[in-house]
Amino acid sequence: MASTATSPIVSPNEQYNYDIVKKFALMAIFWGFAGMTAGTYIASELAWPFLNFDIAQITFGRLRPLHTSGVIFGFGGNALFATSYYIVQRTCQTRLWGTGFANFTFWGWNLAITLAGIGYMMGITGGREYAEPEWYVDLIILVVWVVYFLVYVMTLLRRNQPHIYVANWFFVSFILAVALLHIFNNLAVPVSFFGTKSYSLFSGAQDAMVQWWYGHNAVGFFLTAAFLGMMYYFVPKQAGRPVYSYRLSIIHFWALSFMYMWVGTHHLHWTAIPDWTSSLAAAFSIMLLMPSWGGMINGIMTLSGAWDKLRSDPIMMFLITSLSFYGMSTFEGPMMALKSVNALSHYTDWTVGHVHSGALGWVAMVTFGSFYHMIPRIWNTTIYSVKMIYIHFFLMTIGILLYITALWVSGIGQGLMLRAFDEYGNLAYSFIETVAFMHGPLVARAIAGMFIVTGMLFMIYNVWMTIAHAKRNPVEKLASATAKA
Amino acid sequence: MADIDKVTKQKVKHEVIKDPLTGAETTGHVWDDTLMEFNNPIPTWWLWAFYGTIVFTIAYFIMYPSWPTGLAEKGYLKGTAELTYKADIIKDGKRIVGGGEEITTHWNTRALLAHEMQNDPNELKRQEMVKTVAATPLASVIKDPQQSQFVLAYGKGIFGDYCAACHQAGGQGVIGHYPNLIDDAWLWGADSADIELTIRKGRKGNMPAHKASMTDAEIAQTANYVLSLSGESVDSAAAEHGKKLFNTKGCSGCHMPTGIGMKALGSANLTDKIWTQADVPAAVDAKAKVAAVKTIIANGFKREMPAWESRLSNDEIKVLVAYLKLLSAN
Repeated sequence: MASTATSPIVSPNEQYNYDIVKKFALMAIFWGFAGMTAGTYIASELAWPFLNFDIAQITFGRLRPLHTSGVIFGFGGNALFATSYYIVQRTCQTRLWGTGFANFTFWGWNLAITLAGIGYMMGITGGREYAEPEWYVDLIILVVWVVYFLVYVMTLLRRNQPHIYVANWFFVSFILAVALLHIFNNLAVPVSFFGTKSYSLFSGAQDAMVQWWYGHNAVGFFLTAAFLGMMYYFVPKQAGRPVYSYRLSIIHFWALSFMYMWVGTHHLHWTAIPDWTSSLAAAFSIMLLMPSWGGMINGIMTLSGAWDKLRSDPIMMFLITSLSFYGMSTFEGPMMALKSVNALSHYTDWTVGHVHSGALGWVAMVTFGSFYHMIPRIWNTTIYSVKMIYIHFFLMTIGILLYITALWVSGIGQGLMLRAFDEYGNLAYSFIETVAFMHGPLVARAIAGMFIVTGMLFMIYNVWMTIAHAKRNPVEKLASATAKA
Repeated sequence: MADIDKVTKQKVKHEVIKDPLTGAETTGHVWDDTLMEFNNPIPTWWLWAFYGTIVFTIAYFIMYPSWPTGLAEKGYLKGTAELTYKADIIKDGKRIVGGGEEITTHWNTRALLAHEMQNDPNELKRQEMVKTVAATPLASVIKDPQQSQFVLAYGKGIFGDYCAACHQAGGQGVIGHYPNLIDDAWLWGADSADIELTIRKGRKGNMPAHKASMTDAEIAQTANYVLSLSGESVDSAAAEHGKKLFNTKGCSGCHMPTGIGMKALGSANLTDKIWTQADVPAAVDAKAKVAAVKTIIANGFKREMPAWESRLSNDEIKVLVAYLKLLSAN
C-alpha cells in the first residue's frame, strides 16, 4: 500500500517532542509495577491476613486506594499522557505545543499521585472510591488537567493534516469528561486552610449518586474512551492495515460518549435511591453494549487480511487479546447492571473480578502492546528481546484468566450462599461461612497477581535493556526508522 | 484554519485506495505516513443488535419506574406493574410490621420488600415458627424435635452475624481471648436465665496481675498447683508450696479454696481441665504448660463481652439461648 503523504526529511526526534513521551512512558512502567505489587500484596492479605503485621499503614484499607490510584492514575494516567502526546504529534505531523507546559503536566501529575499515595498510608482520604485524594491534591490535579487540555488542543490546532484522526476524538472526549467529573465529584469544603480534611458539598443519596456518576465514568472515559484512542492508533499501525470502518468509528464514538454518562447509578441498585434512577441506569447500561463493542469490532476487524500476525507477532497478540477482554467485560458489565443479576453480584468478588477483566485484560494489555510498539520507536532502536514479550504475554494471560475465574467462583459462590434458604425460610449460611468458602479462590487470586507482577518484571528488564542498547548505539538510523514507521 | 489547509493541501493528496486483499476502499485520508481507514459500512448485525437494545430499553422504561417527567403523579413514569402489601403502623411508640391497611401501589423496591416479607411461603413459615418458639417454655423448645431443628437453623444465622466474630463460627472460641461456648462449662452460669443475662447485659471479666505481689518462684509454684488441679503431672513439691500460696495470695478469693470458681465473678473453674486463658492444650511439654499458666498469674487479664439487649429482639435472644443450650448439649 503506497503512502500518499510524505514526512519531512528530518529525524523524528527533532520533528516531535519525544522527550515528554519517554518520561511519561517510564513513569507508567514504574507506577504499573508499584501499583500491581501493592495489589498483589493486599490480595495476599485477604488470603493470609497475618500479612497485615498489625501495622496500620499497610492494612488493606490503606493500601487498597494506593493500589487503585497507582494502577489507574499512575500506570493508566502516565500511559495515556505518553501515548496521547505521541499520537497527537504523529497524526497531526506537528511538534507538541508548549514544551514547558507539557513538562508541567508530567511533574504535576506525578507529584499529585505521590502526595495522594503518602496520604492514603497515613490515613488521609476523602473516602470516595477512585477519588480518594483530599482537596489539596484535587487542586493540583485540576491545574494539571487544564494545562493538559491546553497542550492537547493547541497541538491539534497546529496540525499539518486536514483531518483529525479518530484516536484524537477519543482523547479529547476523555480530557473533557474527566475534567467535568473531577471537578463536580470533588466539590468539597476544607475544614481549615492548613488541614488535610475536607467535607463533600453533597450529602446522603445525592452524594452517593454524584460519586458513582464519577466512579463509572472514570471507567467509561478514563479506562475506556482514552484507551480506545490508544487502540485506534496502535492496532492499525502494528497490523499495517487501515482501520476497519470509518463509519462505525463515528457512530460508536458518539454513542459511547452519550450513553456512558447515564449509567453510574447502576452501582447503587437496591439501595436508598429513587427507583426511577435505578431503572434509567440499568436500561442505559444495556444500550451501552453495542457502542462498546463497536470499538472491539473495529479493532479486531482491522486485522482482516493480516490474521497470520496473531501467530507471529507478540505485540499483535497483546493488542487483539486486550480487545477480546474488552468485548467480554463490556458484555459482562451490562448484564451485571440489570437489577436482578445485580442482586446476586453486588457486594461480592464478582464485581472485583469484572473490574479486573477490564483493567488487566483490556487496559493493561492494550498499554503493554502499545508500549512494545512505541518504546523502540521513540528511542530509535529495536526491542531487546521479542521472546520476553512472548513470556510477558503468556504470564499476563494466565494471570488474568486465573484471576477472573477465581473471583467468579468466589463472587457467584458467595452470592448464592447469601441467598440460600432452608425449609423454614432461614438463611442457610451465616456471613462468616461465606468468608470461609472464599478462602480458596482468594488464594488463587493472590497467585494470579504474582503471575502478573512477574510479567511486569520481564517488561521492565526488556525495556531497560532496549534503552541501554539505544544509548550505546546513538546512531540515528533514519532510513530504517522511517521505513518501519 | 484557512492557512493550515493551504499548507496541508500541498502535501496531502486525497486518494481513495482499493485494498487488494478485501476489496474495501479507504476514505482517502492518511495520517502519519501509513494510517488509513476503510470506508466499510457498519456491520448489519451490529446495527440490528443496537436497535434491539434500544427496543429493550424502551420496553424497560415502560415497565419500570423510569423517566422524571414532572407530569406523572409522582413526578416520574411509574411503570406497568403493581404490588399490594399491608402498611406498617406505629402503636404506643412501637412499629407493628404489616399491621396497617392494605396498599396497592406501582412497582417499587420498598413495596417489593414489604410484599415478599408478607407473602413468601417460606417467610410465612419462618414467622409462624418464631411465634411458636416465643410462646413455648425454653425447656420444651429444646426437647421438641421440630422446634429444636428450627432453633438450630435460625439461631445459626443470629449467632453467625453477632457472636461468631469472637466466639468463632462453631462457637469453639479462642483460648486466651474468647470463651468456648460448646464445652458446657459456663463461667457465668449454665442456667438459661444466666445465659440470657450474659447476652442481654454483657459481662466484664477481670483477673488482677500478681507479679507485683508474688516472686517469680512463687508464681511458678502456684502454676504447678493450678495444673495439678486439672490432673496434669507436675513437680509435687512445688505444687505443695503453690497450694499454700493459692490460699494466701488471693487466688482462692475468686477461684474458691477448692478451685471450682465462682459464677458471680465469672472466675474460672480450675479443676475441669478446660483452659480459657492459658493455652495449656497447645503446650508441648510440662515446662511449657507451667510457663503458660505463669503468664496469666503474673499479668492477669481483662475481657469484656458487649451487651446485646438493644440490638437483638426478645425473640432473637430466646432463640439464641436455646441455640447455645442445644450446641453445648451436643
